[in-house]
Amino acid sequence: MKGFEKFIYNILDSKYKKKLIISLTAIAFFLSLMMFPTKMVLAKMLPGKSANTFSIYVDTPAGSSIEQTKQVSSCVLNYLKKENEVMNIELFLGQGIPLDYAGLVKGASMKRTENVSEISVNLTDKHHRTEASYLMVQRLRPLIQESCLPLVRGTNIKFIEQPSGPPTLASIVVEVHGENLSQIRSLAVDVANTLSNTEGLVDIDIMADENFEKYELIPDKEKVARSGLSVKQVNNILYLAFEGMVIAHKNSQNSPDQINMFLVLDNASKQLPESNIEALKSKLSSLNLMNMRGMMVPLSEVVDIREAKSNYMIMHKDLSRMTNVIAETDMVSQVYPLLEAREVLLEKFENDYIITKAGFSTYMFDFTLEDRKTHAKYLIRWDGEMKVTLDTFRDLGGAFISALILIFLLLVIYYKSFAISGIVLLGSFLSLIGVIVGHWVANWFTTETFFLTSTSLIGFIALIGISSRNSLLLIDFAKSLMECEGIQKRHSIAIAAATRAKPIMLTAVAIILGSALLAGDPVFGGLGVALISGTVAAVFVSLLFVPVLMDNSKAMDFDKKYCDNEALKNISITK
Amino acid sequence: MENKKEYQVINIAGTLAKGFLKSPLTAVLGAFLLIMGYLALNTMPREEDPQIAISGGAVIVPLPGATPKEIENIIVKPLERKLREVRGIEHVYGMAMDNVGIVNVMYYIGEDREDSNLKLYDKVMQNMDSMPKGVMQPLIKPFDIDIDIPILTVAFYPKADKQVDDISLFEMVREVQQHINAVEYVAKTTLKGARKAQYNIEVDMGKLSAYHLSLGQIMQAVQSVAVDVPDVKGKTNSGKLVIFGVKNAIESVEDVGSVIVAQYMNSPIYLRDVASVTHGIDIQNFQTAKIMFKSDVNDTLSKEANQITMTVAKLAGTNAVFVAEDVVKVLESYQKDFDDLGIGYLITRNYGERANEAVNELMSHLLITIIIIALMLVFALGWRESLIVTFSVPAILAFTLFTAWMTGQTMNRITLFALLLSLGLLVDAAIIVIENIHRHLHAHGVEDKKMEDLLIEATDEIGAPTNIATLAIILTMVPMAFVGGMMGSFMKPIPYNVPVALVASLFVAYIFTPYLSLKLLKKPEHKPNNEEDENHKIENNEMKEGKK
Repeated sequence: MKGFEKFIYNILDSKYKKKLIISLTAIAFFLSLMMFPTKMVLAKMLPGKSANTFSIYVDTPAGSSIEQTKQVSSCVLNYLKKENEVMNIELFLGQGIPLDYAGLVKGASMKRTENVSEISVNLTDKHHRTEASYLMVQRLRPLIQESCLPLVRGTNIKFIEQPSGPPTLASIVVEVHGENLSQIRSLAVDVANTLSNTEGLVDIDIMADENFEKYELIPDKEKVARSGLSVKQVNNILYLAFEGMVIAHKNSQNSPDQINMFLVLDNASKQLPESNIEALKSKLSSLNLMNMRGMMVPLSEVVDIREAKSNYMIMHKDLSRMTNVIAETDMVSQVYPLLEAREVLLEKFENDYIITKAGFSTYMFDFTLEDRKTHAKYLIRWDGEMKVTLDTFRDLGGAFISALILIFLLLVIYYKSFAISGIVLLGSFLSLIGVIVGHWVANWFTTETFFLTSTSLIGFIALIGISSRNSLLLIDFAKSLMECEGIQKRHSIAIAAATRAKPIMLTAVAIILGSALLAGDPVFGGLGVALISGTVAAVFVSLLFVPVLMDNSKAMDFDKKYCDNEALKNISITK
Repeated sequence: MENKKEYQVINIAGTLAKGFLKSPLTAVLGAFLLIMGYLALNTMPREEDPQIAISGGAVIVPLPGATPKEIENIIVKPLERKLREVRGIEHVYGMAMDNVGIVNVMYYIGEDREDSNLKLYDKVMQNMDSMPKGVMQPLIKPFDIDIDIPILTVAFYPKADKQVDDISLFEMVREVQQHINAVEYVAKTTLKGARKAQYNIEVDMGKLSAYHLSLGQIMQAVQSVAVDVPDVKGKTNSGKLVIFGVKNAIESVEDVGSVIVAQYMNSPIYLRDVASVTHGIDIQNFQTAKIMFKSDVNDTLSKEANQITMTVAKLAGTNAVFVAEDVVKVLESYQKDFDDLGIGYLITRNYGERANEAVNELMSHLLITIIIIALMLVFALGWRESLIVTFSVPAILAFTLFTAWMTGQTMNRITLFALLLSLGLLVDAAIIVIENIHRHLHAHGVEDKKMEDLLIEATDEIGAPTNIATLAIILTMVPMAFVGGMMGSFMKPIPYNVPVALVASLFVAYIFTPYLSLKLLKKPEHKPNNEEDENHKIENNEMKEGKK
């Protein structure tokens, strides 16, 4: 310990060495911050975690039949069947899988149409499996999409992994707001195209229904009335014939439910040879209605058939019309593809629209478009995981600043000096160097990208407390050496640093060992790495940088005075 | 040095140490803490992820025959405006489709669920008078995570060798469902892919026109026969009740087929003449479920088979592990019936087991970490001291778990991560106290003092800086409790539990560390030629000079 004491004293005694320490620290801090813009350390809210299950959503275009949906689903199943690690596959046609956290926000419980199906895949236990579930999804996605998507035009197949944290609608959600329905639709298509050309984005989908061919039967009011029929009767019979209806039921002693009596035309009678007006007309001509006089009237006699397009669904969010475009990220953080896609979009829209970018908020990536000709306004809003991330980072940042202020106040009360409290805070803030560099180092050792996540931020916040304690004990010690024993300032600081080195190291080792097992966890790895590397940095900062600041600060000049405080006196001999 | 003088306690640390050092209740308190912790560990509800209060709901308003634009104007827009008046709603999503308008609302994360559901219902009901004409009764469906997200799903399928039909499969599963709903804390159970029994009347259009019939006639004919009426009462002369009633004329599928639809040329036309009448499944239901499975990794998957999935959800705040275990027991009790019928079942989701695994894995991580730290302390301080610090860890964790249990938290991944995170911090207080005791025991003039006084003094001295340092760490955690949104709720166990653990670590360090030191540590034989001791002499001299 004597050696270390001399080492510190030598540094404090030379102006040049002190400057060197300060500038080295400043350079290290600056360099570590530079790791963000140079993308050496990537940020993400939460990383993926390997799970024992994943699910696949199949959406054929609106108006598709259950048979078409089944055809696509079977194609997907064929690929899954080949996987050795798959233990069981469940296919739910026309409905969602039993609700899970992911499905909750993705609207799985609302699915009850013929053009949807969901597949749930259970894998072998993750502890005995070499391939992580997200890697398996990454491998299967292009294979399945390539061969199954063309089966029914306009089909969308999405791969849903269990979220490791709170679930969101999608990694990237772009909302196109505006009044003109067809224009927001075409803008949405532009956005979707841009997203699909962006590297790292997959499963792009416009959350709007496609329009499909349909036929409108227009009742000829005069003919209906003159045949002694009513429009209501026409509607009912049509529905009864093709969709069928439960017309009566029977209560049963033995069956757990009522037995329904269901009336419908048989399949042969329902089937049309092809989809056109003539086929429909000839089918309707053989469907007879009985009028009030007991005479039979063919249905085709009282209606005109016309081709039409189905109506689009209109979506609102917070009272304004909009269309969603969603995309998932393929093992990358959503931040970087988002920025890239946004640049491309800004360039693309520049010719036709006047672009105004949003100000600094958690909607900071938004921009509004004003049509150069019609002056109609549209808003492109980035929501989804990005928004949640920004909100979380903003809140955690706020928590961090509040923590700094609270500690500062506590120290001011304790030391009655702003300068000393400032030194402690600055010292603890510098553990950020360790946190950032730690993530960069961790990235070397992992096969996938090791992201700086929100748990890393929580680790960093906890670190301020830990490292401020180091500085605190150091200052306390040096102060009492000067006050009670009248040792010269520089000497006291050196003695303090040398004697406190052991307990600082000891508690640091305890924290590092305590966090070592955290580092291996996918979600809390960031926290573990932040604590480990941050603690290492904190040890260096409190043993080298803080003493230099203490020596430079006038607030640390304590005069020798009568010391009757037992506690302070005794700290001075702690070894 | 002032000899034999009673040490003057200046800090709460000393007060605690003094109060508990000789008290026989200290050991009892220690045992009590550990037992409470053990109880909490075993009975606290276990979950994989913490509860996030997500509230919201959907208002579904059908208006048959309206186009999306009409729906938008007369249903969605007015409804959105009204719902906007409700406090606590973050987003309102409207959807206008053919025939129906849907408005979804999402409350801010953390809003009270019951309140939110009530507010939504209230707002819609208050405005029923301004609903447009022709609108059907609006449906208000609140999201309910606890009830909606099943913790267990079971797939029932017919075994390959025995052919059990869809109807018997459904009837069996329905019976099992009844018993599973009876299990304590089970909330909602649903069946997916179930096919119900139904009499299907499939009419041949050709025959219909041949007999000169319309679909409407067939409907009326069936409806006129299949009626259920309650019994009627008559009275005898003596005033006794005579009860009689008309039985439903349809007993079996044959009865349906023999319904006379019309008379043609004086001979009756039966329903079976123009339609195929079968006792089958609900053919109009396109929602089916299939399963493929294998029991061993190296097998190949079985052929695609129809299945019925039963989903089981639990009540809020109950232990997923216990509920899942109880449900599995009920399933096992049906094994014989399943075998007889040729039904197999497969548990396709078990959050109870997953929660248990996650919790147990983290508990073992905690244990490993404690052992590693204990080993480190053996080298740094000595094995007796290490033992004392190691005891303090379970005591602190026990207190923290017990507090969490009492405040209605569940044991989940995040709670345990909070404990892991605090582990590195909470041994510090004990280390600091034990280190100071260690130093005092080896200091000059130790033989003049009583062991008790020494321990109290050693604890008391470091009280002030330790309190401040611990307070600093607690202060960093407190603002995290105010982080909003999903992530804030998700991380809540950290700001809730780490401060509790840290406060507990202070108390445990001040109460139990001196107490155990008294039992385990002894004053060493004084060695006057110790180099360290010489240092103390010099420093003590300096101190005396300072006092003059």
